[in-house]
Amino acid sequence: MLEKSLFKNPNLRLEGMENAAAEERAPVFECPRCKMRQDLSSLAEGLFLCQRCGHHYKVGARQRLGMTLDEGSFREMSVRIASRDPLGFPGYQEKLEQARRQSGEREAVITGTGSILGQPCAFFAMEHQFMMGSMGAAVGEKLTRLFERARQRRLPVVGYVISGGARVQEGVLSLMQMAKVSGAVRLHADAGLLYIAVLCDATTGGVAASFAMQADVILAEPGALIGFAGPRVIEQTTRQKLPEGFQRAEFQLEQGFVGKIVRRQEQRELLGLLLRMHEGAGA
Amino acid sequence: MFAKILIANRGEIAVRVIRACKEMGIRTVAVYSEADREALHVSLADESICVGPAPSALSYLNQEALLSAALNTGCEAVHPGYGFLSENPDFAALCEENGLKFIGPTAETIRRMGNKDEAKRQMALAGVPVIPGREDLKDLAQVQKAAQEIGFPLLIKARSGGGGRGIRRVNGLNELDHAYTEAAFEAQSCFSDPALYMEKLLTEVKHVEVQVLCDAKGNAVCFGERDCSMQRKHQKILEESPCAAISPAQRAKLMKYARQAVRAMRYEGVGTLEFLMDQQGSFYFMEMNTRLQVEHPVTELVSGIDLVKWQIRTAAGIPLPFKQKDIHTLGHAIECRINAEDPARGFAPGGGKVEILHIPGGPGVRFDTALYQGYKLPLHYDSLIAKLIVFAPTRREALRKMLAALCETVIEGVDHTALFHVDLMADPGFEDGSYTTDHLVKRGA
Repeated sequence: MLEKSLFKNPNLRLEGMENAAAEERAPVFECPRCKMRQDLSSLAEGLFLCQRCGHHYKVGARQRLGMTLDEGSFREMSVRIASRDPLGFPGYQEKLEQARRQSGEREAVITGTGSILGQPCAFFAMEHQFMMGSMGAAVGEKLTRLFERARQRRLPVVGYVISGGARVQEGVLSLMQMAKVSGAVRLHADAGLLYIAVLCDATTGGVAASFAMQADVILAEPGALIGFAGPRVIEQTTRQKLPEGFQRAEFQLEQGFVGKIVRRQEQRELLGLLLRMHEGAGA
Repeated sequence: MFAKILIANRGEIAVRVIRACKEMGIRTVAVYSEADREALHVSLADESICVGPAPSALSYLNQEALLSAALNTGCEAVHPGYGFLSENPDFAALCEENGLKFIGPTAETIRRMGNKDEAKRQMALAGVPVIPGREDLKDLAQVQKAAQEIGFPLLIKARSGGGGRGIRRVNGLNELDHAYTEAAFEAQSCFSDPALYMEKLLTEVKHVEVQVLCDAKGNAVCFGERDCSMQRKHQKILEESPCAAISPAQRAKLMKYARQAVRAMRYEGVGTLEFLMDQQGSFYFMEMNTRLQVEHPVTELVSGIDLVKWQIRTAAGIPLPFKQKDIHTLGHAIECRINAEDPARGFAPGGGKVEILHIPGGPGVRFDTALYQGYKLPLHYDSLIAKLIVFAPTRREALRKMLAALCETVIEGVDHTALFHVDLMADPGFEDGSYTTDHLVKRGA
């Protein structure tokens, strides 16, 4: 058969949306670390790493699927679940619409099943372009269903976490997702099943304080900001200058919150290996 | 516009639709059966989902599997292609119920046009000529009177009939009584419904069809006609546009009928009205196809309009930016259907592996196919493997171009009908454009 990869993707913007696209996406991109200007399209073909300094750019959930899972293995779940505006929060509807346009996704997380190097697993990836990957009722529900499905089907869970925390526009409804998802993770763990989380830049707030830190194996991307309250908030509250690199992945590794820092080029291999080592867990 | 579409089909038409989607920036989900794992449409689409085992009934006709594939991948619409579920009103309704746009007319329109009697009644109401006939034949006296009005030869058919049963040809008044009694008896015993109808038998006819495109705002345009009279066992094998045997005045009349018809039923999307044209040059509505057709490329070439893209756009609610007066057809286009059949063995269908593939090219040559070198043809599906379409300023030049392109086509490893078309190009009946639907029968092919 002809491999899908033989054909290049023309990557054309949806008809009628061409102008909107031009505003959203600058053709050239400047690396925030080494300031080298590079073509965005060249990044999209690889792993979204800076060509010069190797800086890990933020990656959309769909791209994350593509670079992590075996080609064609992904079966998406809960596609139709999306946030409404339960509290009538001012401006939330517009914000949701803008987030959908910007990210091309209905919600801030994609869930489903697939395989990594032939090892079947349940998988989720959060979308930073959707309101910074914040967790509302829909995100909580999608994740809960994923862990429940994984438990029923005796599958390990691999998740890429990137989130600003609970979604303020959904108030207490979004806060209670912390408990709900945590419960589902706990049941999954009690069944003896493996959960691996990869924390990306940035993993903070209610997400960091719930399912992100509950994983059996916690990996992180280099330089990722990981913490509950952000450094700026802490500085303002404590009126103290924080040390360089505070709350970065390397710092959290030293403090024992993170098990290992893995470069993007090595993540798929490592995830595959971990899954294979735990094959048959919970049987 | 839809961000993602599921294509519920296979073969060249699936590839055709995927190509349109790619140009429009729409993401595509292909479906395939276990026998089609290596098919081209699977490789070309952004995502591919297996929907069942090889037999079509379990895969490409498996409505539940197709719907779950569409919903699980987050599709917004389903393109049915042609054949399979493209004219299945239940499937169209099921899509709508699940929040998916079926790219085609409404389930109700498909259902009405699928019922041949109902379709004819509707057309007659809209002022479109239908084959003269009479329903509700009660007794012999009424039958005789109706027969004389219609004229001979005529056909007596069972209302609930099918498969050629309950049909009698009547050449004159003296045969009528006998045929009527026999047909009524057969209708009762075969279909438990003695009801009969009568219709004029048209012989030496041309099959001429009109391509229409309508948006949801009621704007309807016609893109000229296609002559599909070259048929083998009631299957079209070659189509051309325009029809060489009709005058501009006749064409205008045909277009008028077509627009009357689609306006009356508030049609949406692409569709085709099929007419028979008798030796006197009169048109009779035969049926309407509520979908994209195999031969749509000939119309695309003479009109310069991408019908698949406009089909998707109108389904997404985009109004047509052009009106009938903006449509100008130009030149002449011919399509030859290349089937995996062996003309030397009575057109027996066959499979095989494509060892060498050379696709003809050059200006005005289009080759729609899902073949690639090394592809193993599964035996479970329709035998159409490629469509060669040429376009030139005149019919004469188009014929020469077609002959040259056919001779350049190489598909080694599979028996196919390209050489049969080569012979056809030199057939005097075809060359002068006068051929009728029984041409190949008369020629003994």
